[in-house]
Amino acid sequence: MSSVFSFQAVSDGIVMNFRDGSTFGSIKKAVTLHASEASGFFTGVNLYLNLSGLELAYEQLEELMKIVRNYKKVNKIYFTARKIKEEKKVNINKSKAVIINRTLRSGQQIKNQNSVVIVGDVNPGAEVIAGGDIIVFGRLRGVVHAGAGGNQSSQVAALKLDPTQLRIASSIARSPDDSNDSSEMLPERAFMNEESIMVEKI
Amino acid sequence: MPGKTIVVTSGKGGVGKTTSAANIGTALAMHGNKVCLIDADIGLRNLDVVMGLENRIVYDIVDVVENNCRLEQAMIRDKRYDGLYLLPAAQTRDKTSVTPFQMKELVDELKNEMDFVIIDSPAGIEQGFKNAISGADSAVIVTTPEISAVRDADRIIGLLEAEGLRDPEVIINRIRKDMVDRGDMMGIEDMIEILAIDLLGIVPEDEGIVVSTNKGEPIALNDKSKAGEAYRNIALRIMGEDLPMMKLESESFFSKFKKLVGLS
Repeated sequence: MSSVFSFQAVSDGIVMNFRDGSTFGSIKKAVTLHASEASGFFTGVNLYLNLSGLELAYEQLEELMKIVRNYKKVNKIYFTARKIKEEKKVNINKSKAVIINRTLRSGQQIKNQNSVVIVGDVNPGAEVIAGGDIIVFGRLRGVVHAGAGGNQSSQVAALKLDPTQLRIASSIARSPDDSNDSSEMLPERAFMNEESIMVEKI
Repeated sequence: MPGKTIVVTSGKGGVGKTTSAANIGTALAMHGNKVCLIDADIGLRNLDVVMGLENRIVYDIVDVVENNCRLEQAMIRDKRYDGLYLLPAAQTRDKTSVTPFQMKELVDELKNEMDFVIIDSPAGIEQGFKNAISGADSAVIVTTPEISAVRDADRIIGLLEAEGLRDPEVIINRIRKDMVDRGDMMGIEDMIEILAIDLLGIVPEDEGIVVSTNKGEPIALNDKSKAGEAYRNIALRIMGEDLPMMKLESESFFSKFKKLVGLS
């Protein structure tokens, strides 16, 4: 029975949602049974029959109307076609990283509680703040903050690691003032080593 | 006694507001003053780059007004002078992130600690400009010898007067003696006649500005530069000294010749 329809409470009554793909025969059977057995449940409330996604012939609708009349104690009966809210699935697909497929320019900011992967450059003036790791497939020249929630095991990696400022958890490092700006790509990663931020070649 | 608060503004963009603010601030600090530079150009910040302090920014002016940090945490100490500070603008926000009222509160708090507070205004006459001028008790207008820049400066003077900022002073930037002599560029007298305000200084065109901006070292630090000298003089005038205006030299035949053969 429950495979044919489900109930949903609304402010002034009950919505009876018919499951997608139910045949009229099974609906008729289930509603007849429910109306005879459990009509007392809905005393004084409005009953909404949600036909969304259902195609009924004139005769079928007439028949259904006859059956639902057995819900004697309800206030009013309506036929509606509202959208059924999708139940939130409990096992949300937890993606561990967001992927940004463009270059971040000055003034643009990416904030995410997971890891962030950027396929492109991070220009000076752009900011990436991530709860996890930050990986840049390109030149990293802006400000990055990995492990912003305090995760000291977060790291930052880039094909060219030349950030204005690099933060991991609550530590801050900046490029030396006299850094020579070679355009050579040299993949490096930065990580926390006890209290300080270390950089090494990958 | 609270310090002096000065907004550097122009109306037109690209005339040298940020360069002037950075150099005036640096030159004032050079003479032992406690100076705070405020970048009011939220969303298009540059003053930090010109000062070479970009990589030190952790908090900015928007963090201060939103109470994410204390004012002292956002102030960056200059790497050359202990008495020089920068309050940077936010880059990822816009001008509406700060209101004129908040700005005024901030500047009022700062001027109790400082001898001078220099506010670098954004171009334009919209909210960013209104924010920048709201905390200032005097104004310096930067203009170049171009009719469009002078026109905008004139408009700004009117707007400043409407806001109660009377008697602004003007810096004429990027002037070229040789062009003025040929009659190809407006002269200082012509511009002062149009604007009818006091002249604070004249800054000659100088290629060194581009170099110093890119390096993050204000040209006022450079003893050999004419523009640097001009800014140091401007700072002295702001401190109340009565200095004569710089004599502009046109390029001598000999220096032109040296340039031509690539000696200098």
